[in-house]
Amino acid sequence: MRAIERLARNSLRAADAAATRFYGWRYNPLHQTGTIAVALLIVLIVTGLYLLVFYRVSEPWESVQRLAADPWLGRWIRSLHRFASDAMVVAVVVHVLRMFAQERSWGPRALAWVSGVVLFLFVFVSGWTGFVMVWDTFGARLAIVGARLFDALPILSEPVQRVFSGERPIPSAFFFVNLFLHIAIPLSVGAGLWIHVSRLARPTLLPPKPLGVAVISGLLVLSVVFPAPLPPEADPFVIPEGVPVDWFFAFWLPWVEALPISIAWAGAVATLALAAAVPLFTRRAREGAHAPSVVDPRLCTGCNQCPQDCPWHAITMVPRDDDRPTLVALVDPALCVSCGICAGSCAPMGVGPPGRTGRDQLQQVRGFDFAIPAIRRRAPVVAITCAQLPATHVHALEEAGAPIHMVSCSGNLHTSAVEQFLRDGAAGVIVFSCAPRDCRGREGPKWLLQRMYHDREAELQPRVDRRRVRLATAAPGNLAGTLAEFRTFADSVEALGIQDLQPDSEDLVCEPQPVVASKRRAWR
Amino acid sequence: MSIARMAWHVAGVAAAIGGALALREGSVHPWAIPRKSGDAQVRLSWSARPERVEQCRRLSDAELAELPPHMRLRLQCEGVFARYLLTVRVDSSGIASDTIRGGGLRHDRPIRLFREIGVPSGQRRVKVEVARLDSTSAAGDTTEDHDTPGDTLLGFRAGREADERQRRAREAMPARLVLDTLISLAPGHVLLVAYDETARRLTGRMARSVP
Repeated sequence: MRAIERLARNSLRAADAAATRFYGWRYNPLHQTGTIAVALLIVLIVTGLYLLVFYRVSEPWESVQRLAADPWLGRWIRSLHRFASDAMVVAVVVHVLRMFAQERSWGPRALAWVSGVVLFLFVFVSGWTGFVMVWDTFGARLAIVGARLFDALPILSEPVQRVFSGERPIPSAFFFVNLFLHIAIPLSVGAGLWIHVSRLARPTLLPPKPLGVAVISGLLVLSVVFPAPLPPEADPFVIPEGVPVDWFFAFWLPWVEALPISIAWAGAVATLALAAAVPLFTRRAREGAHAPSVVDPRLCTGCNQCPQDCPWHAITMVPRDDDRPTLVALVDPALCVSCGICAGSCAPMGVGPPGRTGRDQLQQVRGFDFAIPAIRRRAPVVAITCAQLPATHVHALEEAGAPIHMVSCSGNLHTSAVEQFLRDGAAGVIVFSCAPRDCRGREGPKWLLQRMYHDREAELQPRVDRRRVRLATAAPGNLAGTLAEFRTFADSVEALGIQDLQPDSEDLVCEPQPVVASKRRAWR
Repeated sequence: MSIARMAWHVAGVAAAIGGALALREGSVHPWAIPRKSGDAQVRLSWSARPERVEQCRRLSDAELAELPPHMRLRLQCEGVFARYLLTVRVDSSGIASDTIRGGGLRHDRPIRLFREIGVPSGQRRVKVEVARLDSTSAAGDTTEDHDTPGDTLLGFRAGREADERQRRAREAMPARLVLDTLISLAPGHVLLVAYDETARRLTGRMARSVP
């Protein structure tokens, strides 16, 4: 499984790099697949409402034909409905691959993964009912193959296929049930989305406006210029030589036609079970880089910042065991993804994953070797990089003369570590984070920006010259941008001359408060 | 904006257009439906009640007296539902043969048949035959109970049972059904063979009715 993950990661990185070159990291659609899928769901609901007004269960194909013949609205709205659903499948597939490749499928994220698999199935079922509703040759083929699959199950005594045999006209009730499912399932997708993002403190549901507008406009232009054709009406007495298939929804059709039904069923069930069981195969031991955060109650001042910053609702404030009048933070390990963002949010450095708390970071900075093999600056500019950055970027920064300090996530970085670098002789510190929408900790760059420049708790102290500090984005495919950012910053720092911060002129670390009857609370 | 950057953006627009066209193509790309055995089709689709094969016995007065009053019936019948042999021949060669029986665990539900059989297109003589396998000639006494006076409770029940038996017999498939027809099957066309409950015979239908 690790090898598959690695392969997926490398492929994704290459695709990400290409998309970043094309559209820039701000509007890289591959970073926004989940939100694009939601935006497309909204498009589907809006266009579907329009189509619903004109659809007739008593004459399904004829009513769609009338829509398709209307050059002003009907034709392109129907096409937009169709192409948006296809684009949604593409977006969801990329989203799934992305989560898999970035190891975001197990542990606390398992609920999102499993609910996502169910939602994807719902999207498919909703799509199939939509095609059957039209009752063209493709819709009829889907219905017949679906009925054949159903008939293989020992559920109904009467073969469902007889409905489509031509013995008698297909009852309107059949199309009504289809219509009902086609409306009800997307509504349940909406409800399922709530479960899908329920573990997130601040889910982002829509893409940036320019990207959303671009995607929808693109589909709209496609619908107007190349509208979706309407295949002929299904005739039960004629088997067409070929049908125009929507491969995004019916990629399985040739297999089911070719394979024995039992094998087709076994394949479908196995695929679904395998997809749902991915969290079991990809899970890691909750230790080392995956260990959940812990709270040192002696340091916790009860400021309530870490629960606010945690993107996963993994931290709550609870009454203390000792006689101090404040609350104390408590981490639920079952919800913690070990992103380390809490460590960056805690001024007294009392919370974080083992080895990555603010105190641990200061220790690492104090032992940092400023020597650079390639270029020696008298006062170097230190580059702090997120561990998820591509190795090519890190090597290029090293070659450009930057001593590298790596953190698990830019949000994990404690601002005191930045200050410590400057005290220890760095001329400047530039932090390279992932693109904000590509952050595995979800909100690392966002909170670091707030802490460095907008006085969010655990803020970079006012005594630190902001001209010597910079937050930049390093995205795969934008190596030139990363290097340009570094060089521009290094030049601007060089022009500033020597800084006036002295080593250890003020304490950066709080001393632990004595605890009466201290007892580390275990999460129950 | 540098020329290189602009070139990338132009490439991005081209990629988006290519992606959109690929999306459309993937949305409507035709697929040739495989025709496994023959390019036309005979489709058998019907629902009909099988005949009931019964063995009846006339109870004696002593046996009747032993039964609870509400269960007393002079003629007691036990039986099963008949099985049928389905054969399909095209141009005098048999292409399908199967035993069919009623649905449900006790096979007491209607026969619900759906078969699709591929046949070569062209002028074809299609013969579909359904013949009962089990004999209904009972070993026991199957005659109706005419001895019991109709104005007694026993007589009333006997009459009701007889009516029910007749109704079931009327609804059941005949012992033998045959559709023998010469038709011209175009490629991709389907001959639907169904059972007409009113006329109690097999009928063939295509896009236009088979004569």
